[in-house]
Amino acid sequence: MAKKDEKIVNENSCGCTIDDLMDDKPNNRSKKPKINDDSLCATRDSDMEFFVDPDPEKVSLKFYQNRFTDGLPIIPPTRERVNRFLNYTHHDSGDVLAILPPKMGQATSEKVAINAVMAGCLPSFQPVVEHMIKAVSEDKFNLTGVNATTHPVSICTIINGPLIDEIGMNATVGCLGPGNLANATIGRALRFCLANIAGAIPGVGDHATHGSPAKYSYCFAENEKENPWDSLHVERGFNPQESTVTVIAAESPHNVNDHRSQSAEDLLDTIIHTATTAGCNNSHVPGELLVIMSPEHAETIQQDGWSKKDVQKYIHKNSSLLTVLADRGGRVLDEKNIIKGKVRITRSPKDVVLVVAGGPGRHTMISHGFGGGSESVTIPITL
Amino acid sequence: MRVKLTEKDVLNPVGEVKKKKINLNPLPYDFDQVSLVDNTKPGASIILKVLSESLGNREFLCVKKPAGAPATDQQIMKASASDLAILALGDCGSCASWVVLDAIRLERRGTPTISIFSDHFAPFARQLAESHGMGDLRILEIEHPIAGLGNDEVEEKAFKIVSNLLYILQIP
Repeated sequence: MAKKDEKIVNENSCGCTIDDLMDDKPNNRSKKPKINDDSLCATRDSDMEFFVDPDPEKVSLKFYQNRFTDGLPIIPPTRERVNRFLNYTHHDSGDVLAILPPKMGQATSEKVAINAVMAGCLPSFQPVVEHMIKAVSEDKFNLTGVNATTHPVSICTIINGPLIDEIGMNATVGCLGPGNLANATIGRALRFCLANIAGAIPGVGDHATHGSPAKYSYCFAENEKENPWDSLHVERGFNPQESTVTVIAAESPHNVNDHRSQSAEDLLDTIIHTATTAGCNNSHVPGELLVIMSPEHAETIQQDGWSKKDVQKYIHKNSSLLTVLADRGGRVLDEKNIIKGKVRITRSPKDVVLVVAGGPGRHTMISHGFGGGSESVTIPITL
Repeated sequence: MRVKLTEKDVLNPVGEVKKKKINLNPLPYDFDQVSLVDNTKPGASIILKVLSESLGNREFLCVKKPAGAPATDQQIMKASASDLAILALGDCGSCASWVVLDAIRLERRGTPTISIFSDHFAPFARQLAESHGMGDLRILEIEHPIAGLGNDEVEEKAFKIVSNLLYILQIP
């Protein structure tokens, strides 16, 4: 028997069996460890170890100090949490989905999952974030320029197809604002991937003079149910039953308030006047213009007999500004873009990226693009 | 009984970078033709003009390329026809990125390059070149800012870097 207040254990065992604790073998006595508390086992620091989730406040602060976050609190990316995300992808955790500039970081499934966990995504969002990463890595998107530029361009993500309802995205009232978990966290996850994998950290690999609120999250779904025309993914050749992700380099959205127009032409003229401004990138290097039209505006135009193509053609044709204004943007104007003393802000009707989203109300949002420096990308989401 | 509480580890969100190394082409001992690659940023053409005038009686080939996007293959091919290419101007994030990356494209084609960056964006340009395997890309710095200045002011800043250009080229 062990003496009172002196537990004796066999140091070759784990020390947790009753026999070891109770058996006072002579050959053990010379190595008897002594402890002065109520521990059951003398060979370990503790008798029982519980693993608990890290303190979110502590991890958020530590990650923030390492410049891994956007400044807001994060969900600590523990192995268990990350594994739950990886259950939703057909990729192995180490599969490299893309190499992201400017740092040329390897976007593996696991790194994407870690950043998605941090952003507050649900595990089922993992394939969406992975596809966003693949989309922004296409050459024509020019992630190098989009990430590094002094221009406040963000990456807007538009989701189409059945996935909208499956993951509970908001395509209606307030879809560009707060209040929806998927919209908020998927966009945030992309931003985390850009900072942590691509190296687009403000002042390091992201040189935006002011940055942009749209760099926190800029993600929404198209309101396909109230869209009188083909939705974006159908326009781009996908089946309505396919789900897609579209990424477009775009500034923060700017409102177009038109409560009076009753004809397509009047309403589109309001949009055109709002879009055609000196100082946007498009004014001196024409490129894509994102138009996020409210269902009510779309209905007015459609009831006037206009197709989506008509709308795109009209906006393209009439969105032009005087050369003297266009020339203020910075780069030397390309002579081929000057037509009768004016410069169009888009290169063709296709540059008018028209989607319908939002709730009741007579507003449309426009986002100027990155000029001709980036082309939007739409890819199907394969699970 | 003693109970220990341990916080679970958290995983690192930072993407790994696979190091690579691309060799820089040596500058020619002497050269007849120089490509001046102008990304159309304000002041770029003035800087290139001042620098080219300092190089004496040589042939210059002007190539214009987009600022925030890659040069087209044709533009790269045209620029690579010379013995040396001088690229300007990296004075913002996207244009600096594409001066670096287009310079690397030219180096890969065997054309030695010298790239001009404003001193504010030169550190980023070096990091980017390093990420792409060419940490020793030849960079010539000019005082920031360039955009927003009058032609005379840009010229004045360009004159200040002429001696550095001649030093790099070992021209007495």
